[in-house]
Amino acid sequence: MRYGGEGRSRLLLIILIVTSLFLITLDLRGVKILDGVRSGTQNVLSPFQKAGSTVVSPFRDFLGDVTHLGRTRNEIEKLKADNARLRSKLLERKSADAQLSQLKSVLDLAGRASYKVLAARVISHGSSTSFTQTITIDAGTSSGVRQNMTVISGEGLVGVVKESYSDSALIMLATDPDFKVGVRIAGTQQIGILSGSGSKRAELQLLDNQKIVKVGDVLLARGSTNNRPFVPGIPVGVISAVDNSAGSIAQSATVMLYPNFSALGVVSVVLSAGKNNPGDALVPAAPQPTTVPTVTIFATPSPSASTK
Amino acid sequence: MLVRQFSISSLVFLLIFLIQESVINQLRLPGGGFSLPLLIALTWAALSTPTVGALTGFISGFFMDLSQSSNGAMGHWTLLMILACYAVAFLGFGNDNVRGNPITNILLVSSASVLTLVAFVVTGVLLGVSFGNFGRVLVTILGNAIWAILVTPLILPLVTRLHRALFGNQAHI
Repeated sequence: MRYGGEGRSRLLLIILIVTSLFLITLDLRGVKILDGVRSGTQNVLSPFQKAGSTVVSPFRDFLGDVTHLGRTRNEIEKLKADNARLRSKLLERKSADAQLSQLKSVLDLAGRASYKVLAARVISHGSSTSFTQTITIDAGTSSGVRQNMTVISGEGLVGVVKESYSDSALIMLATDPDFKVGVRIAGTQQIGILSGSGSKRAELQLLDNQKIVKVGDVLLARGSTNNRPFVPGIPVGVISAVDNSAGSIAQSATVMLYPNFSALGVVSVVLSAGKNNPGDALVPAAPQPTTVPTVTIFATPSPSASTK
Repeated sequence: MLVRQFSISSLVFLLIFLIQESVINQLRLPGGGFSLPLLIALTWAALSTPTVGALTGFISGFFMDLSQSSNGAMGHWTLLMILACYAVAFLGFGNDNVRGNPITNILLVSSASVLTLVAFVVTGVLLGVSFGNFGRVLVTILGNAIWAILVTPLILPLVTRLHRALFGNQAHI
């Protein structure tokens, strides 16, 4: 070492490393005080995240548009004509409309299944550099949100409440690698386990080989005891690829999850489910094929042309 | 002296942690974004003595562990940041190529940031943490490397000034 006080420096380094190893050991042994420290931090952070979400919203929408430049080229071309003030207003309005639309669709879904839900705004997305897939919402224990409650959007299952604090809650998204949910193929009683894989594509492991699954089959949440962590009947996703490898004990498939996780603005926490299982009632309607008009042209040679 | 510097550094990194959690995480940057506490701690360490570097790593790592989005065990980031910042400070301290040349400093911080993330994944796997598929982890790490190269030149002048104000005339970039 090129710095004086070598012994003291080494001692400090050893103390710091031992402290961190001590923290890791305590956490892995499930000591509650460390959970309390994290919960306390989240309670302190919650107002800052709410304020940050409001301030950052226009920039976030702008960045989202830039990221999806190919998809929104026409819209961007149109927006180019507007001046800066109108663009800012438009983005704010767009954000509010999107949230309203999401809220409407999620309440519609919950209404069809007679779920009692609590709508909440997404105030923070977990850092990707931590390799987790989480969001934070602005509703917590003071609004009745508890751990292991189902979280839905208008499209279907979003995730589950991982931790709840007084005014906020941490949601583990269905895309998280740790996420697992029991599912049923709509219209059948065939069941399986769906696991998150870090992207919108999840992996399905069926529990038997009795029935062949096919691309396009819709998956619904099976539900849990006392409806926690999952209420039954929530649409989860649609099978996009089936792995029929010879010799495999059980079928597996790739599932495209329904919600658009990168654009979550408003979600709902299911506080309680109805007495009756909604069954297949929440299966989303299949997209209608767009009618393409057929134009038939009849060409009749003119008599003058034929005589020449 | 060290206690005063430790206290002020703690406040600085608390502010950085707040900015990360309430602003940067909200932006949903492409490629997974970047971690401001990680980059600033490594830049700070590159300008410091190994002792201060290790302390910086401890403070910033502890705040990173407090984040709800951290899926590692409490102390996981702390341990890695102590080692990373100590290593960066050890390489950087007294080396004019690092302290006098911003490009070397940026490359040192960026590569240290990537290595720290790789170490986080490897040790996390050993501790039983799930990180998803390999492709996604690779994209996140590569995205972080690109962001580190872009962001470090922007934060370097600010960190240098702050470091100089706190620790005296040790940094000259």
